[in-house]
Amino acid sequence: MAAMKKRIDLALFTALGLAGIFILLPFGSSAEFSFREYSTDGKLLHSFAPYRWIIEQPEFLSHLLLSFKLAFIAVLFTAILVVPSVAWLHLKAQSFRPIVEIVTLLPLVIPVVALSIGVQAAFPDWLQSTEYELPLMYVVLSLPFTFRILDNGLQAIPLKTISEASRGLGANWPKTIFYVIAPVMRTAVAGAFFLTFALSLGEFTLTSLLHWDTFPTWVTSVSQQNIIGAIALSVFSLAVAFLILLLVGLFSSRSKKRTEVAE
Amino acid sequence: MTNSYVSSKGVSRKGGTFARRNLIIAAPLLPLLAYLTFFFFWPMFAVVVDSLKNNDHQWSLINFTTIAQKPYSTAFKNSILLGALSALFASIPGALFAYIIEVRGSEKLKGFINSLSGVLANTGGVPLAFMFIATFGAQGSAIKILKSLGIDLYSGGFTLFSFTGIVFVYLYFQIPLMVIIFSPALHSIRNEWRDAAKNLGATPRKFWTTIGVPLLFPSFAASFLLLFASGFAAYATARAMTVGNIALVPLVIGTLVDGNVQVNQANVGKSLAVGMVLISALAMIPYLIIQRRARRWQQ
Amino acid sequence: MKSGTLELNGVSRRFGQTVALDNLNLRIGAGEMVALLGPSGCGKTTALRIVAGLERSDSGSVKLQDRDVTNVPAHLRNMGMVFQSYSLFPNLSAVENVEFGLKMRKVERTSRRKSALELLELVGLNTQSKRFPHQLSGGQQQRVALARALAIQPEVLLLDEPLSALDAQVRTNLREEIRRLQLSLGTTTLFVTHDQEEAMAISDRVGVMSNGRLEQIDIPDVLYNNPASTFVANFVGTMNHIPAIASGDTVNIFGKQVRIKNSHSGSGEVSALVRPESITVMRSQGAGQAKIVTRSFLGASSQIVCQLPDGAIIQSLMPSYSTGELHPGEEVNLSISLDEVLVTHV
Repeated sequence: MAAMKKRIDLALFTALGLAGIFILLPFGSSAEFSFREYSTDGKLLHSFAPYRWIIEQPEFLSHLLLSFKLAFIAVLFTAILVVPSVAWLHLKAQSFRPIVEIVTLLPLVIPVVALSIGVQAAFPDWLQSTEYELPLMYVVLSLPFTFRILDNGLQAIPLKTISEASRGLGANWPKTIFYVIAPVMRTAVAGAFFLTFALSLGEFTLTSLLHWDTFPTWVTSVSQQNIIGAIALSVFSLAVAFLILLLVGLFSSRSKKRTEVAE
Repeated sequence: MTNSYVSSKGVSRKGGTFARRNLIIAAPLLPLLAYLTFFFFWPMFAVVVDSLKNNDHQWSLINFTTIAQKPYSTAFKNSILLGALSALFASIPGALFAYIIEVRGSEKLKGFINSLSGVLANTGGVPLAFMFIATFGAQGSAIKILKSLGIDLYSGGFTLFSFTGIVFVYLYFQIPLMVIIFSPALHSIRNEWRDAAKNLGATPRKFWTTIGVPLLFPSFAASFLLLFASGFAAYATARAMTVGNIALVPLVIGTLVDGNVQVNQANVGKSLAVGMVLISALAMIPYLIIQRRARRWQQ
Repeated sequence: MKSGTLELNGVSRRFGQTVALDNLNLRIGAGEMVALLGPSGCGKTTALRIVAGLERSDSGSVKLQDRDVTNVPAHLRNMGMVFQSYSLFPNLSAVENVEFGLKMRKVERTSRRKSALELLELVGLNTQSKRFPHQLSGGQQQRVALARALAIQPEVLLLDEPLSALDAQVRTNLREEIRRLQLSLGTTTLFVTHDQEEAMAISDRVGVMSNGRLEQIDIPDVLYNNPASTFVANFVGTMNHIPAIASGDTVNIFGKQVRIKNSHSGSGEVSALVRPESITVMRSQGAGQAKIVTRSFLGASSQIVCQLPDGAIIQSLMPSYSTGELHPGEEVNLSISLDEVLVTHV
């Protein structure tokens, strides 16, 4: 038994070790790179200079805020459009679920590049002249994932039954939505919002091909003049993305535990 | 169609037709459908229509005959190769890693790997390219470390900005993507099956050849297809990493969009896009079909 | 059949801090069907899996007809096992599932197909041989699982709660079938379950387990009438705990002096263990010993639940024809039909 245990651990150990190198090498290298500073006589130093440089750039804040604004709008549209639709689907329109699911998967089939061309070809000039066309498209891009998250979250809940129970106990529809439906959808909705937000913040392809300048595209242009600064920016955004997703992972596992205990 | 029907509650109702009842149920879904129509179906429709028009706005197949020749055909070949190779070199390590984690890992580890893979799979585009430039670029940290050990990769002609370089970089998000999409299939291999097989005289190898692999093959194939589509259609990383030396379809479309349009080829970009959609659909539609079927018995 | 004896000697197993099995000793005779009965966590499944070779024991041995198989790997043990559910291979049809063990033993194709079909006929599913597990009902799946386990002509048949996931009616029918097959094939069988009715109905002997130990193992009659401990008394069937005062060798129950069967420490307050069918309820003129709380008609018998003045609840089980005049709220007198009882201390 002891010999078998050692053999098992070796395989896992090697796998995790390789994975560790796989992950840490590029991240570590980028981090190291991002602190580089070349002195006037060509020597390599390390300091916070690149990060100082980033923050000093006026475009840093303006582009970051722009990306945040667009991401926020995308989340808003998801909230208004997708969340109620999925809720309705589970509440009253279960027969339509299969076909809606297929429709929402279609954006996955189409490459974003192709979709960008489509937007260029189809949208009227007034729409193409405003940066708000971007969040409208971000909603479409994130739809397969947001639908999946909301749909999975609702599948675990007998939404129709508890709504009918609520109504039977005397609550009208607004009260039922507020006290029964919304709380039960909380985790899934949070997950969908996070996903849309993260996707919008990092979206490059559509934004770049439609000639808009958000945070990701700005980082690319920075690389022309200051590769170290650009890398520092990348490290910064990756670190933030990492943190957010880890937090989401922790949050969702904790709430999963809560619902398990409740059962 | 009669005017009366038996509702689900078993009560016969006169005056409501089947179609009308369905309309009432479907009505709240119309906003979403309208949105998709305007922001998704219509752009795609416009692309297809435009791709079939020549410079004089007349119906023509000239755009498609153009992209069937060089240099566009080379771009397609390269992109397909890129998708296939990155899928190949990511699917096997990814599947193996997912297997080891699934079988030997604790629940906590599985959750952590899952979240981590989620982050890495979405680490695409520009940050990823820069990360690899920082690591394996001419001034990269790893290159410096190897130099100090006496190994100079660059003297041997290695460069990150080559086809192999891009495949290599793509692995960074393709492998985690494989881990994410293949893990559920592995998870669905029940312990009861392994125990029963053991009990009936099967060695682990026999179990995998008679039960395990046949069960997992559809999901593996589906995952491969997804990875292919992902590698084929990726834009941002390639854009940040190439210096114009490698022809890839997304990049070509990018340059066309930036105004580098040749005479008589106003709508070539549209036909390239249509080509991309067709190839992507060829991979994604089987992927989706297999996944839906697999999900049914996986539950 | 070449079924032999099965022996567990001093088998112990712990998982971290928890003791799953504590020095388990068990001997099953050739062709005998023994059930291990107990609540979740009592160690019965662990014991079964150790016999199958799917788990290792920390100490002790497993012997098959005097052959020590403790270190023999699971796939070489020649035992057939039926799991609780979902154990059929989903990518194989029913007949392919059944012949799997034979295929592993490199039996030639036509003869293994023939054997598999014969076994499916034995369990009444020869018409479903080409169906896949997801096309079969729960009861049908378990029948295929049984056929699959028997196809290899095992020396021992192991059943891990095979009926727990099935509907009540299917459960009753299938357990009879399992017993019928087991008897006709004469296979030594170890059967694990938490359902005492099931264990008692079809087994030659039943072993009651708790916290990794075997509390008592005997034929069903003895377990029922002579439980060795309070745990066994409560787990097997329903047991009344009647508060009474013991004086020396006897205890007064409802006015009758009854002898105490087991050894106990002196006199004082005790709980007398009496089965419902040993208690009779009769209407009393005026105030009685108890008041009826509920009467449940169960078909041939009826259950009368009464409450004593001190609050204690007494359950009685009587033939329905003698309970027609008893109604909730009425005052009644109780009497016990036994001459001796087991007592435990409060």
